[in-house]
Order: sequence, then structure tokens, then C-alpha cells
Amino acid sequence: MPKGYLSIVLHAHLPYVRHPEHAFSLEERWFYEALSECYIPLIWTIEKLFQDDIDFKLTVSLSPPLLCMLDDTFLQERYIRHLEGMLELCEKEVRRTRGTPFEPVAEMYQYRYRGVYDTFCRRYQRNLLTAFKAFQDSGSVEVITSAATHGYLPLMMEYPEAARAQVAVGVRTYQRYFGQKPRGIWLPECAYAPGIDDILKEQGIQYFFTDSHGILFSDRRPRYGIFAPIYCPTGVAAFGRDIESSKQVWSAKEGYPGDFDYREYYRDIGFDLNFDYVRPHIHPEGIRIHTGLKYHRITGAKTHHKEPYVPEWAESKIDIHAANFVFNREHQVEYLARHMDRPPMIVAPYDAELFGHWWFEGPRWLELLMRKVAQSDQLEMMTPGVYLDRHRCNQVATPCTSSWGDQGYHDVWLGNSNHWIYRHLHWSAGEMVKLARDYPQADGMLNRALTQAARELLLAQSSDWAFIMATDTMVDYANKRTKRHLANFKGIWHQIRENRIEPEWISSLEQRDNIFPELDYQVYA
Amino acid sequence: MPVVLWAIAIGLIFLAVAVFLWPRIRAQAKPGLKQSRRHDFGMEAAEEISIPAYYKTPEHIPDPPSKYGQDRLVLLARNPNWLYAYWEVSAARQENILQELDGLSPWEESRPVLRLYDVTGVEGFNGSNANSFVDIPIQDCTDNWNIKVGQPNCTFCLDLGRVLPGGRFITVLRSNFVATPRATISDRIDEEWMWLDGIYRSFTRYQSGLSSPTLIEEIRGRMDLPQGISSPTLSESRKGD
Repeated sequence: MPKGYLSIVLHAHLPYVRHPEHAFSLEERWFYEALSECYIPLIWTIEKLFQDDIDFKLTVSLSPPLLCMLDDTFLQERYIRHLEGMLELCEKEVRRTRGTPFEPVAEMYQYRYRGVYDTFCRRYQRNLLTAFKAFQDSGSVEVITSAATHGYLPLMMEYPEAARAQVAVGVRTYQRYFGQKPRGIWLPECAYAPGIDDILKEQGIQYFFTDSHGILFSDRRPRYGIFAPIYCPTGVAAFGRDIESSKQVWSAKEGYPGDFDYREYYRDIGFDLNFDYVRPHIHPEGIRIHTGLKYHRITGAKTHHKEPYVPEWAESKIDIHAANFVFNREHQVEYLARHMDRPPMIVAPYDAELFGHWWFEGPRWLELLMRKVAQSDQLEMMTPGVYLDRHRCNQVATPCTSSWGDQGYHDVWLGNSNHWIYRHLHWSAGEMVKLARDYPQADGMLNRALTQAARELLLAQSSDWAFIMATDTMVDYANKRTKRHLANFKGIWHQIRENRIEPEWISSLEQRDNIFPELDYQVYA
Repeated sequence: MPVVLWAIAIGLIFLAVAVFLWPRIRAQAKPGLKQSRRHDFGMEAAEEISIPAYYKTPEHIPDPPSKYGQDRLVLLARNPNWLYAYWEVSAARQENILQELDGLSPWEESRPVLRLYDVTGVEGFNGSNANSFVDIPIQDCTDNWNIKVGQPNCTFCLDLGRVLPGGRFITVLRSNFVATPRATISDRIDEEWMWLDGIYRSFTRYQSGLSSPTLIEEIRGRMDLPQGISSPTLSESRKGD
């Protein structure tokens, strides 16, 4: 009998970025890089565990924009062009680095990118949703959903219909791709406020996650702290993030990803190599960008001198770090189990994009971690769904309003740089609700216009834009995306209210902002 | 002649300064790899998928309108200690207020204020039964405000209004109600779910610089407080004493 449970939760999300109007889009590279570096390596990790018959459990939330992007034929096509460019670059690099200390790394990348190409094009026929569907059906991976466009729900609660639409569209999108209802949801930015659980309940969601203080600061002191879920008065369960296990993976200083033998993220051949040589693989306007080929290891703290990456050294560190993580969790549950009358549940949620992109070795670490836990007699991998099946009796309390952002509340999404968006988002949400109620059974062009208005509103609500504004990088893009979707919404609103819909314009918007092909605007009624 | 000499001298000085500063200018302009270094937030988001910030959109995107022609005063809680409000007064409401003021006081002599009511636990708030209120003077030209309350776990309502020279207050708009989040562990204990002291003690073992920076301090502070409540472990150990 294990003493405690470990629940690893990976939250995969990217904002909906798709620019058919540009021949080259830097922003689309977010998606391509995440596919090559995170999502496909994660698929490999899970496949290897299945191949070796390892008993494991993993929770993965795939945000609805990500589901739609994975299913989008235009982006699939462009990703293949991107991969072809990468394979070409890898080949040139293997030739260029022959006989140098970088040769093994260049070969490693070539091998990887060939694997990525094979996985994407041949094995999954361009659609990775097939992989996640199979994982979900296996029972080892609990795939859950998120809000429609990753809208920041607590700041929408003045217009509960808008928050409800975010959740409902998230649930429907999940159903469309996975053929069943999601048991759980990843609330965007882990952001909860009382009342959100009413919406989750209504949509049939059984659980969500909060940051540690979301549970610890509940209106009733939680008996088990964050080591057991609580039920909201609605009956929806809330799981709290464990502090200690988060830190070991996240912390830039003490966390594993900062190990000197791991790959250095900031040295990329896009910046390092001769301009004319990398020119075909950077921005068409000749601006140097990250190519994804990074040949150095971190080497040391605060040093600009970087040594070549040695895959074998990294591999041995991954093994040490996976063992260390398991050792610490065993230690943790041993302590906790002495005080608890049920196995403690340690919930460790992470951004999926951390693994592979920022922490290159992350997917392999996950694999080794799962293998080691399978051999542990103290730990058992767990998903929130299975936990709730086993432990039905839980304390009832209302979690505290919280997020996993800086300061733990809404500061990041409602600060000096981004507060201006809310008056516009709120107005649009209010008007969308009125439109849905005024036109309960629209068809033809009016239906299409109303549906597109809903899409534009949802896209404007992505928490990513407010976050980017707050972090002061790429602000221009976030501002433009917010303003464009708001302007589109308002334009459609005028056309509907003034009875002068321009079909060509609506069509062009449908093609450009084509998220949620089966959206029903009545979700706002 | 002196003019020419002066010109040459000034030219030389410029040249010297330029030569001296050039390496610095170049150093600044160089696209440092570290420039995209992870943002300073304590938040644990994964590194943004890399992308430099020179997006160019060929099309013109209009700014959203400054007014929608609606009366709105929306109050939001940012964190346990701060509120944020934005508002818009429609032309019709503005006209109403002018009429209301007519005969009482000229517009210029009244001052715009935000009146913040603490309505924690108040049922059926009617403008005069709040626990307390404070007035915050503002300017006519503004349409949003950050309000420091420093009161976690309380409920607030806000009026945008005008104060007349005699002190009379006229409400222009009233906001929604909003509750500030808790910032502490609750003192409400379920008898059947007595909190476990050992579990809470485990938190204090870890220093944390994570997204809940005050969390550890909070718990630690709580642990040191004399607890007027019993928990199974505490009472057991007391029995043992």
C-alpha cells in the first residue's frame, strides 16, 4: 500500500496565433517550436512508458486554442514547411560541425528533427490529437480542458455569462475532439474566484486546481492543508498546488533546469553564426532569431563562456534529478502520512511548455520520474479523477480568490499596463449577451455574423494578451491582437444592430479568425 | 580666420567625443542574447516561446472608443488590499445631474469624488447603511482609479458622485459589490474536519520565493500564535504532557 500519491499535471496552452495573411509569421513559430520541442517529445515520453508497460498516471490539460491549432490544416501545412527548413539546416550543420566538439550535438538535433518529422507526418498523419485521444482512452493519461480562449475568469465575473461561455466552449471543444466530457478543468492562470465553481458545476466539471493559498486560505481551515482536495459548496473539488515540488522544478536558482550540464537556452546558432550562412533560416527581413539549434551547456552561473553540450552528461544528470525528485517526494509523504488518516495527495502542476522548450531535458526527466515512481513502494502516481473515485468524502469549504501569478492574486492581469482592456472586454461581453438574447434563432448570414462576433470576443479575452502587456515583451503584438478583436467585435455589432451586414467582410473574418468551427453563439444567451 | 579655427576646434571636440563614445553606443545597440532573459515576475510561467518584438502589422487597427454611451461604474478587486474602478457617465446621465444640481450649486463649485462604502455583512445596502465610508477626491478628467483599502476579506461598494460646497453628496453612479480576497488562513474550524497541526508545520520547513510570497510567512506567523483551538495532534501531545 503506497503511503502517498503524486499527481503531475501538465498544462499545455498557446494563444490562438494563425496568420495566413503573412507569408512568414514570427508568432506562429511559438506553435512550431512548442510542437517540435514540447508536445512531440511529450508524446514520445508517454509512448515509451506504454512500450515498457510502466504503470503511470499523468494529467494533461490541452487548452481549446491549442486543440484548434493542432487540428488546423493551414497550420499543419505550414509546420511541415517549417520542419523541412529545420531538416535542411540540421543537414548543413552536421556537415559544418564535422570534426568539431559540436558534431555530436548537431547530430543529436538532426536525429531529433527526423524523429519529429516522422512522428508528425507519417505516424500521426499531421494530427497529434490522435495521439492524445489514444492516451486518454488508455486510462493512464487524464486529459482535461481549459477555458475557451484561456480567458481570465475572475475578472469576467461581472458578466457571468461571459465566464460561462468560456467554460462551456472549453467543454464542447474537448468533447468534439475526445468524444466525452472532461472530468476536470485547468482554470486559466490557476485563477479562481467564488462563483466560478457554480459555472463548473453547471457544465459538469468535477474538479479544478488552485495555487497553494487558494486552498489554504479557504473560508474554513482545511484539515489536510493542500494534501487533500476540498469540495466547494457546489460539490466541485479543488486541488491545491504543492509548494515544495513546484520549486524544485521551477526555481531558476535551485531548480533542476539550471544545472550546468543542461542545455543553455540563450545560445542559439541564429545569433551565433555567420549572417549569410544562417540567413535562409532566420526572419526573411534579415533579423536574427532563435532557430532552436542550441549547442552549449549552461556551463556555470553568471558566465558568458559556454562549453559545448554533452548529451551523455545531461543524461546522467536527468537520472540523478529524477531520483532526487522521487526521494524528496517519498520523504515528504512519509512525513505527511504520519499525520494524516488517508494518503496525502501531492499535486505538482507545471506549464507543459517548460518541458522541452525552456528545460530541454524536461520530457526525458518526466519519463525517468515515472519509471522510478513505478518502482517505489511509497509513492503512487495519481490523477485527480481517480483520487476522487477513491476518496469520495472530502471537507467542504470555499477556496480563496487566487491565481498562480506574481503576488498570487490578479495583479499581473489587472495592472498599470493592462487595466485599460477591461472596460472594452466588459462592454463587448455585455453586448454579446444582449445580441444572443435578441436573436435567439438567427440563421443564414445573421447567424454567421453573430457567431463571428462571439469568436472575436473570445479571442480578445485571452489572458495571454494581458500577461504579455504586463511582462513588457512583445507588447505591440498583444496590444494589436486585443484591439483588432475588439474592433472586429464592435464592427460586427454595428452591422447587426444597424441591419447592414457585409457578407464579404464577415467571410474574411471567418477565414482569418477561424477558431471553434462549431461555435454556437447561443452559448451567451 | 578665428571663425574657421573655432569651427575646426569644435569639429575636433565632436570627433573626440564620438570616438570615445562609439564603443558604448555599439555595445548598447548590440542585440544581447540576455536581453530576452526571463521577466522579473515571481510567477512560474514557462519561458515565453522565443520571439523578438518587432512585429509589423500592415493594416490600421483603430483604438477602442473612449466612450460607449453607457452608464457604468465597475469595481474590481485586484488583491486583498487594492481595488480598481473604471467608469463612464453617459451624456443623458450628465444632463440629469446638471438638472439636479440646478438651483443648488453651480457645476464648477461641486467636486467629483469616489465614495467607498464598506458593506461587509450589510444586507440591502441603500447608500446610508454602510459600516463606514471614505471619500476620495478625484479629477473630472479621469475615468479610472486605483483604491487602496488594506482590508482583506471585506465587501465594498463605490459611488461616483459630486460633493456640493455645503457638503451634500449627490450620487452619479453606483458600482457593483466586490469582495477583497482573504490573505490569511481562516479561523473558522470545522469540528468534524479539525485541522492537523503536523500538516501545517510541514509548510514552515520550506523557504519559498514562489508565487505566494507571503504564504510561508503567514503560516509561520500563525504557528507561533497561541492557538485558541485544539487539533487532534495538539490535544494528543498535551495529553502526553
